Amino acid sequence: MNQTVNAIEVRDLVKVFGHFQAVKGINFNVKQGEILGFLGPNGAGKTTIIKMITGLLKITSGSVLVSGLDNQKHMALIKKKLGYMSQKFSLYPLLTVLENIEFFGGISGLTRKELRDQAARIGAQLPAELLRQRIQALPPGIRQKVALFVCLLSDPEIILLDEPTSGVDPEMRRKFWNEIYQLKKNGKTLLVTTHHLDEAEYCDRVIIIHNGEIVWQGEPAELLQQNRQISIEELFKEVISKHGQN
Amino acid sequence: MARIKAIIVKEFFHILRDPRSLIIVFIAPVTMIFILGYAFSFDLNRIDAAVVDFSQSDFSRQLVNRFANNRIFVLHFAGGGTSGGNPLRAAEEMLRKEKIKEIIVIPVNFSRRLTVHGQADFGIIIDASNSNTANLVFQYNEMIVLEFIAEMKKAGQLFKLHTKIYFNPEAKSSFFFIPGQIAAILLMISAMLTSVSISKERETGSIALLFISPLKSYEIIIGKTIPYIIVALLDGVLTLMFSRFWFGIPIHGSLLVLLFFAILYIIAGLSLGILISTTAPTQKAAMLAAQILTMLPSYLLSGFIFPIDSLNPVLQAISYAIPATYFLRIIRGVILKGSELKHFLFEGLMLVLLSAILLLAASRKFSRQRKAVQ
Repeated sequence: MNQTVNAIEVRDLVKVFGHFQAVKGINFNVKQGEILGFLGPNGAGKTTIIKMITGLLKITSGSVLVSGLDNQKHMALIKKKLGYMSQKFSLYPLLTVLENIEFFGGISGLTRKELRDQAARIGAQLPAELLRQRIQALPPGIRQKVALFVCLLSDPEIILLDEPTSGVDPEMRRKFWNEIYQLKKNGKTLLVTTHHLDEAEYCDRVIIIHNGEIVWQGEPAELLQQNRQISIEELFKEVISKHGQN
Repeated sequence: MARIKAIIVKEFFHILRDPRSLIIVFIAPVTMIFILGYAFSFDLNRIDAAVVDFSQSDFSRQLVNRFANNRIFVLHFAGGGTSGGNPLRAAEEMLRKEKIKEIIVIPVNFSRRLTVHGQADFGIIIDASNSNTANLVFQYNEMIVLEFIAEMKKAGQLFKLHTKIYFNPEAKSSFFFIPGQIAAILLMISAMLTSVSISKERETGSIALLFISPLKSYEIIIGKTIPYIIVALLDGVLTLMFSRFWFGIPIHGSLLVLLFFAILYIIAGLSLGILISTTAPTQKAAMLAAQILTMLPSYLLSGFIFPIDSLNPVLQAISYAIPATYFLRIIRGVILKGSELKHFLFEGLMLVLLSAILLLAASRKFSRQRKAVQ
C-alpha cells in the first residue's frame, strides 16, 4: 500500500450556520492506511467536518477530496468508497441483527449471495443467538460492534467512525479498537472521532479541534514529548485552556 | 429493484413491530369510524313533545294520535280543556328545561272551525336553540301534518302521489356521512404514515445513512411509499367492512372501481406526507401537521358536510385542490349509487393530476433536502 497517497484531503474548509462559523477554514489530510483520530470537546466541529466529508452537509467554502475526487462533484463515486458510522444513529432498533444486515446490505446493492456471505462472516464473530435478537435488546457494546460490521458491508476503502465507542464500557472499547486495528491491517483508512482521550493513543495521528479550528496535530507520542505531558488527557486540557485564552 | 425491496421489507417490519404504527394503522381508523359514525348524524331518534289540547274534541284527538302513532314522537300531556292551572305555561317551562323539543297547541275552537269552515289553526312551538335539530323537528311535524290534512280532505281520492327515494331510501344520514369519513380517514392515515416514518428517520438520524448510501432519492420515495399504499388500502378495506357490518352501509358498486381510485387517492395522501416530512422537525410535528392538513379540508371544504356550492368563492377554489373533494364523490357514488368507472372520468383525472403534482413536489423537495441535509 502506498502510504504517501492521501485518502482524504481537506482544504480551507468552512461551514457557517447563519451567523455562526462552526468550521473555520481548516486543512488536513488523511493518509491511506492510517488511523486519524479527531479529538475535541462537544461542539468543537468534529461531526460537522465528518458530515461535510460524507456530503451530508453542504460545504460553505473550501474543498474535500476523497481518493482524489471532489466530493461536491463526484459524490456518487465517493459513496462507493466510504463507510460511515454515525454518532447519532447506526442501526434500526426494531429490526434484528440479521434484518439490519440484510437492510443495509440491500440498500448498498449487495447481491443475495454477497449478503449471505456477509451474514455468515458476521455471524461467525457473534454468538449465534444474537443474530436473531432485536437491536434494542442488545447491550451498547454489541450494538456498536454490529454497527461497525454493517458499516463495512460494502467493503469501503475509507471508514469514518463518529464517536464509535460512546456509551460503551472500557472492556468493550478495547475490543472495539482491536477491530479498528484489524481494519487498518487490512489496508483500510480510518477517521475516528472520540471524546475518550485515552483512545487517541491508539491512533497513528491525532488532530485536536477546538471552536472549529485545528489547534494541534501530530503523532500522539510526538505531541506528548513536545508538550512534556504524561498523557493525552493532560495535553488536551492544556491545549484547550491555552486556546480558550487566545 | 433490490434496493427498493430492502426498504419495503424494512418498512413492513417497522409497521408491524412499532406499537404506535399499529395503533395508527389498525386501531385509529376503526375507532374513528365508530365514534364519528355516531357523532355525525342528522337523524333524530326521539322528539319529546308537550300536547296542550284546549279543544279536547274528536278532531283534536285524531291529530294528537297522528303524532302519538309516529315512532319518533313521545308525547307529554300538559293538560288543556277544563283542567286547572296554565297548561301552556307548564309546557313552556318544560321547553326551557329542555325536557321537550316542541309544544303542540290545539285551540279550543279547533273542532268547530274545522267542521264549519273546513279549516282550522293550531300551533307548534319549536325549541330552535339548536337550529339543525329545529329544522329536523320542523320537517317531521310537516310530514305528520300533511298526512293529517290529506286524511281530512280525503285528498287521496283526487290524486295520489307516489314518492320513491333513490340510493338512501330511509334517508339515513350515516349512509351519507360514513363514506365521507372513510375518505377523510384514508387521506389522514396515508399522510400521517409517511410523514411520521420519514420524520422518525430524520429525528433518529437514520436518514443520514440512507442519504449516504448509493440509494437514489426516487428509490427512497418508492420504497417508502409502496408499503404504505398497501397498508392504507388495508385500512380502506377494514373501515369499509366495519361500515358495512356495523353501520349497515350498503355497497352497491364495484369494489374494483373503488380500489382503482383509492390507489390514486392514497398516492396523493402519501405524497402530501412526504412533503410534510421535509419541513416537520419532529415526528410529533409531522403527525399534527398531517392531521390538520388532511382532516380540516376533508371535513370542511370537500363537500363532506357542507355543499361546495354554499362555500364562498375563495373556499370553493381551494376545495378543487383537495383530493378528498374528488374521492368523496367517487366513494359515495360507488357505495350508495353503484356508479361505475365511466361516471368518474373527471374525478379520476383530477386525482391523477393532484397525485402527480404532490408526488413531483414531494420528490423535488426531498431531493433538494438530500443535497443539503441541514
